Amino acid sequence: MSTFIQTVIVGLRLGSVYALIALGYTMVYGIIRLINFAHGDFIMVGGYTIIFTVPLVLALGLPAWAAVLAAIAVCALVGMGTEIIAYRPVRKKGTNMSALITAIAMSLFLENLAQAIPAIGPNPKVANQIFAAGGFKIGSVTFEYTTVITIVISAVIMIVLYMFTQKTRLGRAMRCVSEDKSAATLMGINVNHTIILTFAIGSALAAVAALMYMAQYPRIYTTLGSDLGIKAFVSAVLGGIGIIPGAVLGGFVVGLFESFTTSYISSSLADAVVFLILIVVLLLKPAGIMGKNVGEKV
Amino acid sequence: MKKLFCLLLALCMVLSLAACGGSGSSGSSAPAAADGEEAPAASGDTLKIGVISPNTGNLAAYGTGIHTGAELAVEEINAAGGILGQQVELVELDDRADPTECLNAFNNLVSQGIGLIIGSATSGATSAITGPANEEEVVIIAPTATADSITTEDDYIFRVCYADSAQGAIAAAYAKTAGYDKVGIVYCTGDVYSSGLKDSFSAACAEQGIEVVATESSAALTTTEYTNQFTAMVNAGVDFVYAPYYYDVIGPYVIPQARAAGYDGVIMGADGYDTTPDYVREADAPVFNNIYWTNHYFAGDTSEKVTSFVKAYKDKFGSEPSAFGATGYDSVYVYKAAIEAAGSTEPSAVRDALADTSTVYECVSGTFSFDVSGTPVKGAPVITFKDNGDGTIGMELVDVVEATDLA
Repeated sequence: MSTFIQTVIVGLRLGSVYALIALGYTMVYGIIRLINFAHGDFIMVGGYTIIFTVPLVLALGLPAWAAVLAAIAVCALVGMGTEIIAYRPVRKKGTNMSALITAIAMSLFLENLAQAIPAIGPNPKVANQIFAAGGFKIGSVTFEYTTVITIVISAVIMIVLYMFTQKTRLGRAMRCVSEDKSAATLMGINVNHTIILTFAIGSALAAVAALMYMAQYPRIYTTLGSDLGIKAFVSAVLGGIGIIPGAVLGGFVVGLFESFTTSYISSSLADAVVFLILIVVLLLKPAGIMGKNVGEKV
Repeated sequence: MKKLFCLLLALCMVLSLAACGGSGSSGSSAPAAADGEEAPAASGDTLKIGVISPNTGNLAAYGTGIHTGAELAVEEINAAGGILGQQVELVELDDRADPTECLNAFNNLVSQGIGLIIGSATSGATSAITGPANEEEVVIIAPTATADSITTEDDYIFRVCYADSAQGAIAAAYAKTAGYDKVGIVYCTGDVYSSGLKDSFSAACAEQGIEVVATESSAALTTTEYTNQFTAMVNAGVDFVYAPYYYDVIGPYVIPQARAAGYDGVIMGADGYDTTPDYVREADAPVFNNIYWTNHYFAGDTSEKVTSFVKAYKDKFGSEPSAFGATGYDSVYVYKAAIEAAGSTEPSAVRDALADTSTVYECVSGTFSFDVSGTPVKGAPVITFKDNGDGTIGMELVDVVEATDLA
């Protein structure tokens, strides 16, 4: 029994990180139908920002996690910069495919740029302690505070984002742009501003994801984004890409499957099973678990 | 359009600045020489030795060790008059621990006419160049590529470290002397080094009469979760787990998670544990006990050879040399001995000198001679980590397993 609970906790821990990252993918995809492959690298940017600002934050007498504020600012700037410099011009000139390739190029560019900066360099770095260590015990199983905090934060962010897109004017503008850009323009919505705002929010989420990731897995390196990105992307697709609660659900499904495979089937099959589940779900429900199959309007 | 062009131009300039800063930090022009255009002007009196190591990427600490160690040896040799009267010059290339990059670096060196190469750190990368080296008749001395297959198939490949079969056997011998007869293994199926050590350790356990009661694995070196694997070890009731991983996984993930999962027994590893203390969160330091690992050398060794090397390295680079520094240093000196024995710098003559199994090399990483395949016959120090109590981790020598103990 304690093995079972332990497995669930590990699954939730992995899943909460995937869910947070998947939210960023889904957010951008939902608005401009672009899979932002550089999103994983925004996490890397956020991670390094946190590492460099934690000593500063501690010197000011604030708790270590306050460094996330700096990371949010940096990530949002990098996200908006990416959109303005790379994605927007390409979207104007080319097709969706060229935008996708640009996203991959942006991802590789950020990774290599980070390696070339002397303060970052190629060596991995170990993160500082971000939340108080320890946890509480139920039976013989320890729930670590960090894991609980991550789960709560991803749930809160999911709800806030959902409310934001459903209830606020800006959120409505986002949904309009996502449905029909030219109609949105005719209705007086500034499409470019809306897209930039989307990138700012998506990238700020990457900073939060970086904080939570480093709290549990305290190592950061320049290619971290591509490693993490794949699983998070799978989570987003599994839950139904473009759907905010779907990303969180997908993240937890992937995390739990990974953990249960490790414990009960074979530890080396964990990744194989995750991708198998993806294929099965996509075969049965091509739009993802929470996706709706919408027929093409003629 | 014009605006875009300006932006691009600015970006390029920023990049080139950043690139300059990058290479300046590594002492010599090690990573920058990777494009081959910066190969130093040839001069008749210098002997060029190629060095291929992972200077960037996740295992950069290994590459840094190897090329700094080699640089120190070359500096000493040049100050003492060089080899056969020739000054030695290193041509250093980066392989990022990637087999393709390693082969590219190798081809680059061969096209420069270099026939003596030191490299590379990992078995995965090195295995990409052993075949081509044999074809091109280029000698390779691998500082730390420990997979068994590295030297067995080709004539031109040597190394200054022991093979994994020896390293696994040393760990099993240690388990036996420490009184464990039931052990577990956690390893990475996606990595040659880790799975090779797992194979040799389990084979040695079978010989020693130790029972392997639980084997768990991770799929890739990028895996971050090891809790379930160690929960399985707790459930299997073992007090000794062999976990051959690299430092960047051991420090931040494996050890803290194993302890959090309630596993308090011995965790034993191999030379990949070197430099782990630099990759541990301060708060995690107290759980770093009961961990043992085999290495190529121990920096706290009191023999004259080791103390003078450690002192010279500290004077030059300001830090304690890792085992990779020691093997990089040794690789250069083994070349020196072989070239002097051959009386020539021709690769085939140097190869013949190295192939003489009766020559004894006195090195920092032990005194040894090569076996028929080109692998040293030597033992290994067993080292343990200990929590210093101030958020840092120290190391202590536990035991030295001699080559004769294994026979």
